[in-house]
Parts: sequence; C-alpha cells; structure tokens
Amino acid sequence: MAGFSREVARRVFAEELKSCNYSFRESEDQSQYAPQYLLTPTGAKCNRVFIVGTLTEKDDIGGDTEYWRGRVVDPTGSILIYAGQYQPEAAQIMANMEAPAFVAVVGKPNLYQTEDGNIIISIRAEAMQRVDEATRDQWIMDTAKRTHERLKALKDAGPVPISDSFSTADRVSAPSPVQDFQRALEHYHTDVEHYRKTVIHALTSLKGELIQDNTPEKAVPVPALAAKPDARIEPPAEVKEKGKSEGRKPKMKKSGSLAELAEQDDIEQVEEVPIFKRPMSEG
Amino acid sequence: MKELVDQIVARLREQKIEVPEEEIASRLKKLVEDFRVPEGEARRSVLNYFLKEHGMMPLTRSNSEKVKVSEIAGPGRWVDLEVKVLDLWEPATEAISQTGLIGDGSGSIKFVKWAKSGLPDLEMGKSYLLKRVVTDEFQGRFSVKLNRTSQIEPLEQEIEAKPGSRGVEQLKVAEIGEQGCWIDLRVKVVQLWETNSDAISQSGLIGDETGSIKFVKWAKADLPNLEEGKSYLLGNLVTDEFQGRFSVKLNRTSRIEPLEEEVQVGSQSAEFKGALVDIQKGSGLIKRCPTGKRSLAKGICSEHGKVEGTYDLRIKGVIDDGQRVQDVLINRETTERLVGITLEDAKKMAMEALDHEVVCSLMEGKLVGRYFSVTGPRVDRYILVETINEAEAVTIADLDELIGMLEAD
Repeated sequence: MAGFSREVARRVFAEELKSCNYSFRESEDQSQYAPQYLLTPTGAKCNRVFIVGTLTEKDDIGGDTEYWRGRVVDPTGSILIYAGQYQPEAAQIMANMEAPAFVAVVGKPNLYQTEDGNIIISIRAEAMQRVDEATRDQWIMDTAKRTHERLKALKDAGPVPISDSFSTADRVSAPSPVQDFQRALEHYHTDVEHYRKTVIHALTSLKGELIQDNTPEKAVPVPALAAKPDARIEPPAEVKEKGKSEGRKPKMKKSGSLAELAEQDDIEQVEEVPIFKRPMSEG
Repeated sequence: MKELVDQIVARLREQKIEVPEEEIASRLKKLVEDFRVPEGEARRSVLNYFLKEHGMMPLTRSNSEKVKVSEIAGPGRWVDLEVKVLDLWEPATEAISQTGLIGDGSGSIKFVKWAKSGLPDLEMGKSYLLKRVVTDEFQGRFSVKLNRTSQIEPLEQEIEAKPGSRGVEQLKVAEIGEQGCWIDLRVKVVQLWETNSDAISQSGLIGDETGSIKFVKWAKADLPNLEEGKSYLLGNLVTDEFQGRFSVKLNRTSRIEPLEEEVQVGSQSAEFKGALVDIQKGSGLIKRCPTGKRSLAKGICSEHGKVEGTYDLRIKGVIDDGQRVQDVLINRETTERLVGITLEDAKKMAMEALDHEVVCSLMEGKLVGRYFSVTGPRVDRYILVETINEAEAVTIADLDELIGMLEAD
C-alpha cells in the first residue's frame, strides 16, 4: 500500500544542472533519512533526475574497486556521472560501454564543495542504459517542455507573499510548488531570459540535425572518423546556413577526437561557472 | 528586533500571558527574515498567535452566536453549537486532547479540543452545548476548535444528528475526485489486503462499473467485515486522497448493507506517457502459486506456503513523465511482444545462465531509459498495461511548435 512513494525524475538540461549550488532536506527534523533535494535555478526540485545524452568519456577512477566516472553531453553542456560499488548495475553497464554512445541515466544529484570553494554537481547513477538517438531526441523535447513550464511558473511566482497565518498543530501545510519557484528566484536571482535562450538553443540545434537527416540529397560521403554507428555526419555548409543557426554553439560531438571534445567542454565550463556561482552560505 | 520582542512581551503581560522571549524572537525572525514580512505585520501576527494559543481572541472580541453546523461557512468565527458527538479519533499530537466528529440536524463537522483548553472530555454519542468555539478552515473543509475560553455544557435532550455534512451523495467510483466528501457507494469487494496496522480492521479494493478504489475500514468503526466477491451498499464513507490517489474510509457513522444483486466491476482506462525509469524486483521470469496465482517469494506463497510454482513472465515497471511517476504491470503476452522473447526462451536463458536475473537484465537493457505510451485499466497504484508503444519520434513540426511558443514568451 502507499506510504512510500517514488521520487519523480526531473528533466533538466546539463547547463542548468551545472549552475546548481543549493540543496536541502525536506523535513522539519533535518534527519539524515529525510530525502535530499537539489533546487535548480528554474525551480525544479530534484531528488532524482533523468538525463539522456552522449557519453563522451568514461574512466575508472577507483582504486581497488571500480569506480566509474562518465561525462554525458546534451545540447547545452555536460555533466559528470558516477557509478561505483553501491551502484553495481550502472557501474557494470558503464564498464562494458564504449564511448561515445547515447545513454540514458537515472540518478541522484549530489553537490560537493571543492577545496577552493567551488560547488560542483555530479550525478550518482542508479540506472544507466545505452539508448538510440530517437530517445535522445525525445529527451531534448521532453526536457525543453518541462523547462519551459518551469520558466512560465517562475514568471508567475513573483516575489514571496506575506504569510498571514501560522499553521496550527493539526494542519501541516504541504510545501507547494509555488514555494519552490519563489525559493529558486530568491536564491539564484534566476535570469529567465538566459534559460529561455538555452532551451531555444537546444531545440534549434536538434532541429538542425533533423533537417540534415531529412535531406538525403545533401548527404556527403561519410568521413572515416564518423563511421561509427552513433556518429553524425557533418552537415554541408549551406544546410547549416539555412537551419536557423543563430546563436548556435559549435556541435561538440562533431569535432574530431575525444580529447578535443573534452577540451571544448572545459572551455565552456569556465565561461559558465562564474556567472552562477554564489556563496554557499545563502543556501 | 529586540524592541519588537519587548513590545510583544508587554502586550502579552497585559493579558497575564508569559511567553519566553526566545519563542517570540524566533517566530518574529522567521517572519521577517525568511518570509520578508514587514515588521509591523510580523508583530501583529506574532502577538495574535500567542493570544490565540492562550485562548484570547485577538483584537475584536465579538460575541459568539448560536448556529447550526451547516451555517459554518468561514474561519475565525466564534460560535455556540448544540451537537452530538458522532465519532472520536486518535489525536495526531499531544497538543490536542480530543478530536472527532460532531453533528446536528444540519450536518456534521470536525472538532479539535486543544490540550491547553483544560476542558473535560466529550463522550461518544452524548449531546452537548459547546459555547465560544472558533471555526477554522483547511483546504475548503471547516472545523471548530475548543480552546480555553470555550465551554462545554452537557445537554439533557439528545440532539438529532444527521451524519455526513453537505448531503451524502451516491457516487460512482470514477466520480470521486475530492477528499473529505461524504458519499455512498454501491460496490463489489474486489480484493482484501492484509492490514498493517491495528487501527485498521480491513482494507482492500472495491469497485463498480466505473472503476476500483482502495478502502480502509477503521477498527474503531466497529463494523461487520466485508467479504471478497460480495456486493454491498456502503453508506456514509469519507473520501481521502494521498499523493493523487483516492481512497474511501469507513468510520463509525458508515453503514454496510449487503446487496442481493452483484455489482459489475469495470475499469477506468488510463493513459500515461513518459520514460521507463525502473524495472522493479519481481519482474522477469517469476514463479506463481498454482492455486492463487500469487507470485512466489523464494518459492513461498504468502497464502499457501511452500508450493511448486509455475513459471510466468511479467514486468513491474515505473514510468516517469518528469512530473509524476506511474507504476505499470505488464503481463506475459505483452512482455513477450515488447521484449521479443517467449516464456520458453526466458526459461532456457535462465537455465543456461543458472540465474533468473539474466531475464530481468535483458528487459532492462531493452526498455530502461526509453519513452513509452501505455494504456490500460488503473487498479490501485498500477496501470495494468493493455497497450504499450514506443513514443513517436520527434518531428521538425514538434520542434517548430515549441520553439514558437518559447519565442512568443
């Protein structure tokens, strides 16, 4: 019977996830068993997330026991995922997988603070599977929709209203989603416009890919490098021009080697981090 | 802040109320700092809170008036009621000395008697005049609170109480969409479950043509037991909701009338779209009890003990759309089609690997992380999957539509 209910897996783009630095436990007593939530800048309250993207790197960073770290890339950025001895199924799947590959990850977000005070997010994978490109496209659409909904709710949430009544002993008010959005605004001073553009960017880049897929006459000989099943074909220049490429970032997965890819991503990370970094004491 | 606290302490002293300064300060701080309440408002709010807690009506101290239960339509009114005690419930906190249901000819209402009120206990079935009780409201439902200024006077004559406020409606299961309603149902008992609490005498699933719903019969209700497969008219049930799922509760005021005719149980067909995020324990190649069809745990049926089970294939999955999770049960035929293996294949696989888990892993590999759309009847927390399809591929038109919406914002 009900009593325990599973936490929803939220849909959040990597760029937004990387901007997170606020987590809390939802319980009066702050007990260690109370579920932990990450609040994202657009107000997604995540105990769990669902991500589909491209696994671009994977490393066993463990000592005696395997401890896998992977980087999953979506159209907006990348996020690190981990799987060790306490996530044996996910760890085994990561061990047996070749990067790059499209993957779906269900996992728990974690924040930690580095020695120099930066707050870094990672995802502890509960489940991981290789998926096809169609699934990854569906996820982008899904995540864009959910983020759009949150952006609309953020606009409606506005400033925190005056609380006019205390709860009496027999009335414990359930935390309403509106509070999540108000909390997000208060903590992150969310730039709604920025996230709106990020979502449009994600959709536009996916659209560019679909246009290219649907244009067989434009197909060019497959370069040797891209011959892997999951690799994409570099679009001819004129298609790129047509496909509303305004504000589009260079597509990471199309650029040659993995090393190059990681490097590009790191550059992006450096650009993004300072904008959203806030002192932890606020949380 | 200190100044505000002093002001409040002084005002409370006028009423001969002593409250530790820290308590006042912490309430003030929460309002001002966490909730950005202006200081003046915060002071008023905190003062009122402590006045109320000590049974003082803040500001205007209006006279209470005698009303009928059905006339209670808003919070914060001081009223007198002539009522009968219909039900007493277990208080959820020590701050409450008694809680339950009281009623008169016009309807019934929840009451709460604060421990601090120091009032004598009400007795079940007795009638009273309750003076100076405060009305309250929570999520559209009204209640009355008995505090220090309230009075209880036993009545000689019995108050004729109509159980169930706002008229009891006979509803169909599928029409239940609100908690706290008093309703009648004509249902068949689909399934009885083991109860996990002494407070519950029976629980399970009941249904009519429109669908099924969970029911709970409280031990205190003191009602006869329902039998699986029998049909009943259940009178004066209260609807309840937990995380979007409804149930009905049978309490002391409820009635159970066996029906001659059999109620047909239908199902609400439901649809759900989302990503399959988990395949749960008990999926894959399982064994079932040949008698009750229950799945076995380590060869043991919870009803018939150790039995020689028969093999079956099924999936207990979780589909998640980013807002809600939906448990789904996929039977053998659909599982075979979906995963592309037959029960025989699965048995062979398990035998070769000397492990049943391989079947489950295969399912996970094919399904987890993918988007599906399922339909089927909703039974308790599950959708019993009749159709399951992979979600349609994203089209340029879908993208254009969403981009258009985003650009219009």
